[in-house]
Amino acid sequence: MTVRNRGALAAMAVGAAALTVAVLVACGSQPAEDVGAEQAADLASATPSPTAGGPSVPVTRGELPSGAETVPPTRLVIPAIDVTATVNAVGINQKTDEFEVPPSVDQIGWYRYGPGLEADTGSVVIAGHVDSATQGKGAFWRLRDLDQGDTLTATGSDGKERRYRVVAREEYQKTKIPLERYFARDGKPRLTLITCGGPFDAEARRYRDNIVVTAVPA
Amino acid sequence: MQLSIFRRVAAGSAVAALTFVGVGALTATPAYAATSKVSVVHGIPDTPVDVYVNGEKTLSDFKPGDVAGPLDLEEGEYDIALTKPGEPVGSAILEVENAEVPGGANISIAAHLDAAGQPKITPFVNDTAKVDAGKARLIVRHTAAAPAVDVRAGGTPVFEGLTNPNEAKGDVDAGTVKADVVLAGTDTVAIGPADLNLKEGTATIVYAIGSAEANNLDIVAQTISGLHSAPAGVPSGDGGQAGTGVGTWWYVLAGAGALLLVGGGARVATARTGRK
Repeated sequence: MTVRNRGALAAMAVGAAALTVAVLVACGSQPAEDVGAEQAADLASATPSPTAGGPSVPVTRGELPSGAETVPPTRLVIPAIDVTATVNAVGINQKTDEFEVPPSVDQIGWYRYGPGLEADTGSVVIAGHVDSATQGKGAFWRLRDLDQGDTLTATGSDGKERRYRVVAREEYQKTKIPLERYFARDGKPRLTLITCGGPFDAEARRYRDNIVVTAVPA
Repeated sequence: MQLSIFRRVAAGSAVAALTFVGVGALTATPAYAATSKVSVVHGIPDTPVDVYVNGEKTLSDFKPGDVAGPLDLEEGEYDIALTKPGEPVGSAILEVENAEVPGGANISIAAHLDAAGQPKITPFVNDTAKVDAGKARLIVRHTAAAPAVDVRAGGTPVFEGLTNPNEAKGDVDAGTVKADVVLAGTDTVAIGPADLNLKEGTATIVYAIGSAEANNLDIVAQTISGLHSAPAGVPSGDGGQAGTGVGTWWYVLAGAGALLLVGGGARVATARTGRK
């Protein structure tokens, strides 16, 4: 075997190794597949409103609306991914019109304009950071590891614990996520957890996707 | 509360652009007709009524300050009449014939006093466009026997020079605001103050009713929910540690690997066939 031949064989070996490593990395970084997407969509289908049949017409006193009795979640525990986090009531960022996720990554935010834990319709939304450039891993670092059947417990401001069971985990590009469905105030009662995921754009410092976990009362 | 927004939209107050609108639950209109949501608001003090639609009694003993509906009504023409409770439709105290209900709208019909104190009926088209996330809509309607008024929030006029039977409206930050109604351009309080709890994603419609002369000015409120929008997005990470994408350098590595493999293979092949 000539020297030149040995060089060629070595090149082939290096090439094969490089290709194998690259392919392995590519396969390993594929996100877990969505589960339960259909169940999540079914939960969102609107509860049918009673049809206006018969001669009876609803009549109410025209009083000013009183403050609704909402029960904000204050604590969320998800044993399967070692999460015990304080939940803050948050709203909208005035500048961006986006969900105001608490800046402290070990805390998570409940969308205070939507339903609270007392609601018998609609989606209670809690969002948290997957990570942060300055603070490292966030409370929802492992949200994408949740699977159907995992349980979680949300404690309300009334001190009552409410158990939920995961029915779906989905990943959407942020430009395509059907947010109306997850911020719906109708449909079956459900708890929606949202964080970031997917490929990271290092220049824009943002993830391409949102991870959405849907849970129903257990 | 964003007062500037209030002021800006207040200038655009408008009368409902309807011929007239009626209400009726028992009419035979074609099934394919578009339906509208119709509510009825009673703003005539001390005068409970029965409401007849197309000659059928639809509401009994409908009291001042009450809101009826919403009803899903097919578009079409309706006759509407108000009588004293228990009296026949023939002796109506207020009557409108061939009231037109357009399709696909949300309408409130207010029975109220005009500026001179005479009972009348005014239809309003309710703005049910979605509000931005975090916002609520406030609509104020002057349906009282009273001169022009200003509506103040936290002591600052937000709707100015509102007259019967017009409305003023604006989308504002959701939350509670202390509001009152004063005679236009003065600090003379006519109604209130009252705490307005403007819930996000709803429209709160406040009717000023009654008569200044009779000293019974009051308000009636109606709420329309389901106007909320979702946030524009949920930004929840800028660290990049959880990125799942395949980075560019891995593609470069795969490409280089493939080149080496092909190049080396070609070299070996040429060597084997004895060609130099």
